Amino acid sequence: MTNVATGAGTATTGAQIISEDDVVRVEDLRLSFYTTLGVVRALNGVSFNIPRGKVLGVVGESGCGKSQTGLSIMQLTPGRIEGGRILFREFNTSEEIDIVKLDKNGPEMRKIRGNHISMIFQEPMTSLNPCYTVGHQIEEAILLHQTQDKAEARRRAVDILRKVGMPNPERIADSYPHQLSGGMRQRAMIAMALSCTPTLLIADEPTTALDVTTEAQILDLMRELQHEIGTSIMFITHNMGVVAQMCDEVAVMYLGRIIERAAVDDMFYDPKHPYTISLLRSIPRLGVARGQKLESIKGTVPDPYSTVPGCPFHPRCPAAIPGLCDTVMPDEVFVAGSRTHTVRCHLYT
Amino acid sequence: MATAAGELPKVAKGKKQEDVGQIPQWKLMVRRFSQSKLSVGALIVLGIMYVIMILSDFIAPYPHDVLDSNNSFAPPTQIVWGPEGPGIYGLKQELDMERFQWIYTPDPSVIYPIRFFVQGHEYYFLGLFPSRLHLFGVEAPPEANARIFLWGADKEGRDLFSRVLKGSQISLTLGFFGVFLFVVIGSIVGTASGYFGGALDNLIQRLIELIRSFPDLPLYMALAAAVPLDTPITVRYFLITVVIAVVGWTGLAREVRGKVLAFRNADYTAAAIAAGASHWHVITHHLLPNAMSHIVVVGMLAIPGAIGLETALSFLGLGILPPAVSWGILLRDAQTVQAVVTYPWLLIPVLLLIITVLAFNLLGDGVRDAVDPYA
Amino acid sequence: MLNFIARRLVNMFFLLIVVSFVGFWIIQLPPGSILDVQIQRLRMQGGNLPESMIQALRDRYGVDDPFYIQYWKWISRSLQGDFGTSFETDQKVAERIYNRLGISFGLSLTALLFTWLVAIPIGVYSATHRYTWPDYIITFVQFLGLSIPGFLLALVLLIMASRLWDQPIGGLFSPQYADAPWSLAKLWDFIRHVWIAVVVLAIGATAGLTRVMRANLLDVLNMQYIQTARAKGLKESTVIWKHAVRNAIHPLVMSLGTLLPALVVGETLIAIILSLPTIGPLYLDALRSQDMYLAGTILVMLSALLLIGNLIADLLLAWVDPRVRLE
Repeated sequence: MTNVATGAGTATTGAQIISEDDVVRVEDLRLSFYTTLGVVRALNGVSFNIPRGKVLGVVGESGCGKSQTGLSIMQLTPGRIEGGRILFREFNTSEEIDIVKLDKNGPEMRKIRGNHISMIFQEPMTSLNPCYTVGHQIEEAILLHQTQDKAEARRRAVDILRKVGMPNPERIADSYPHQLSGGMRQRAMIAMALSCTPTLLIADEPTTALDVTTEAQILDLMRELQHEIGTSIMFITHNMGVVAQMCDEVAVMYLGRIIERAAVDDMFYDPKHPYTISLLRSIPRLGVARGQKLESIKGTVPDPYSTVPGCPFHPRCPAAIPGLCDTVMPDEVFVAGSRTHTVRCHLYT
Repeated sequence: MATAAGELPKVAKGKKQEDVGQIPQWKLMVRRFSQSKLSVGALIVLGIMYVIMILSDFIAPYPHDVLDSNNSFAPPTQIVWGPEGPGIYGLKQELDMERFQWIYTPDPSVIYPIRFFVQGHEYYFLGLFPSRLHLFGVEAPPEANARIFLWGADKEGRDLFSRVLKGSQISLTLGFFGVFLFVVIGSIVGTASGYFGGALDNLIQRLIELIRSFPDLPLYMALAAAVPLDTPITVRYFLITVVIAVVGWTGLAREVRGKVLAFRNADYTAAAIAAGASHWHVITHHLLPNAMSHIVVVGMLAIPGAIGLETALSFLGLGILPPAVSWGILLRDAQTVQAVVTYPWLLIPVLLLIITVLAFNLLGDGVRDAVDPYA
Repeated sequence: MLNFIARRLVNMFFLLIVVSFVGFWIIQLPPGSILDVQIQRLRMQGGNLPESMIQALRDRYGVDDPFYIQYWKWISRSLQGDFGTSFETDQKVAERIYNRLGISFGLSLTALLFTWLVAIPIGVYSATHRYTWPDYIITFVQFLGLSIPGFLLALVLLIMASRLWDQPIGGLFSPQYADAPWSLAKLWDFIRHVWIAVVVLAIGATAGLTRVMRANLLDVLNMQYIQTARAKGLKESTVIWKHAVRNAIHPLVMSLGTLLPALVVGETLIAIILSLPTIGPLYLDALRSQDMYLAGTILVMLSALLLIGNLIADLLLAWVDPRVRLE
């Protein structure tokens, strides 16, 4: 799976954006699934960084590996990490830990999970255990990482529930998940994730399953809390509109690779990669000429068991260069005149 | 760049080149099934057993019910090599006065040859064609005590091998038909209950609730005991099948009803009804096909239980009754420690029963995994 | 909650009336009655039996009454705690049943406890170590446990016990303890007699439950809340035992309702082999000799046991799962 992009991935050479103040630096992460039907290479050298206190949006179609990237950082992926590094630095330390090297279920990894890095999942209906009260499930994390005192944990759980905008947090704490609506449950999940004031919050499509008004409330809430606590967020979504609302920076993924990376404004006003351009064109916008058809990207994501030679997007790319794009994998490069905008496309090399 | 191109053949070499989405459903099922080696093995074992069962009258050297006091508890016969190929010795029967049991000593003076494809007692092949041909038999004058007991003889001197073969005709089929019957009843009643709803549904659900208020085994026992003792064997066979079905269908009917209710409310069913499809069409085209895999799996998994049930009922003297023979009847001889220690070959039917039930369990498990991988 | 229980009890009461009616009907289905057998026997013993005496017997047992009158006599007496007089032994039905029900119950409860204590840990281990050698071995042993008839296992254990360890065979007590008052020695003697029955009873049920536990746990382990629990930084053992097992245990709790009567009667075969005086062989004898009052009473009692078991299971389920509690 390796190719020249590996060079680009390892910090010093190529187009990796380096910041002194990153909470996480992922370098050339590769992940595979071994199934009975064959090997699926889910991540093929993913490299990115999340700056302190910023929100990084990770965008892409279903199956592009964005969720697996998030799960890899937590070491919760069912797949096998085959290479690369995930360097994590918590608040107020300069020491970097390579998460990949930690034992999956060992004490070091468990100390990071839920404490320094926490995660919210897509399905609020199923992400809380139906057998325990919401309060109990939040207290569980607090008791694990913060304090041994049960009364104190309870107080903190109620506090954080109040913070995420729950009316009557004491009652909510004693409720079971099935007694809450989807939006309430997602608030409870956010409360649980933030209960130990983590350095990084990984949010895997946290609003996809919610209706639009609830989605807006949850996004506002996350933004607010992010400012207040200073947590960095890795925001995984397929929704460009949500990205515009939430994120400082955006990484676009396609078939297990990051193909474009930029600040959110650059991404929306000056997208480079043909895939990003099509992706943006496929969202309806106000002010665009009436009667014009909404574009869709032709074709579908290729079968995960096969490998596409060259640039993985070339079979669907309107600007594909025959003889080049279908044989050679493009490197990640800086867009001319920018130190923050990178793209992986032959049009810009 | 060379590496990117160079790795391609490696993936192409893998056997999964077909697009998974384009393989027909049944092929995927067969592929998933064949991945489970235990289940494939079970299928082969069962195949062999059923072939032997069909040919049982031809393979069995003796009738299953002819008494022979000269060979009470005769041990499995030792096969020797004589001048005319394989053969056996005659047996001398003596009474051990101390332990009060028969002792058999082979008489090596004469070797009686084993012949293949011989004429023997008359039987009806498949119950239809009269025949006297048997796979093997011993050529011996009537006055010599030279019978071949591959698996020994029981108390009445009946050949256990022949009895086991005869018993398989009942034991391997009765449970099977019982399950078939209850699958049919369960599917029809469950579908009707779920599709038509209303008073019919209510009535059926009450009936199911009533039947399920009885504990299984006692109910089976009571129903089997209700079959009069003097019923001829064919009728008895049928009635015991019905007994197995009558209690068994309720669980399946409930599950089918649930499935039908779910599919009935699906959009494609609503569309079919809106397009003027008849009840019959909706049921056979939209509801049953969707519930079918579940029905098949439930049926497969129920077979071993039904076979065990027939055996248990016969063992208890409530199912098949002598002179007919099923494996459950044969097990009755093996119920005391004394008998089993002295005549260990009496345990052979038990062994076969275990193999059969084990094989059906493994097969059912494999089928479930293949048909319904998410269940 | 109390409302729920009350409703269930009322429902159960009506169901039991129907059950007793249908049960009694099934039991009296076969033509002839035990009286015919009895008269036969009396004739063989004492030669000629006067017609008047036969008629007296017939009247006494109500053999010639139509079905609904027989039922009414039986059920109205049953409700007063008088289950009638057994045809076969002239003993009170209630007495015969209670003697044995206690033993059956004790055996079954012990087997049940044994089953749960073994099935849950093994099922959990098997599910969390899927596709490893121990899992394959456990799976195979389970299939074996499901496929070997209990009575065969009883037989094998009996042979081993009597040959290798010089254990007593059959019955509940050795002769010297049979009528002795309870003491430690008697208890030990009792255990030596019944452990085979408990083990054999438990093994079949254990194999089934282990399988169910494994399948359920595998389902639950795919749930999002398990990821959530892991994402909190909980130890894998806490994730499994606290978050997964509690959710996977429902079917086990639900099976409690059917397991109890199944165990009580499931030992019929085993009890015959081990010659234990439990309810199973009594029921079988009653059926075979067409002793309809005795058989009918046992059948209805077992049904009641099943319904009560189901109710207990539902209550336990509500305790385990808060979602059930509200419905």
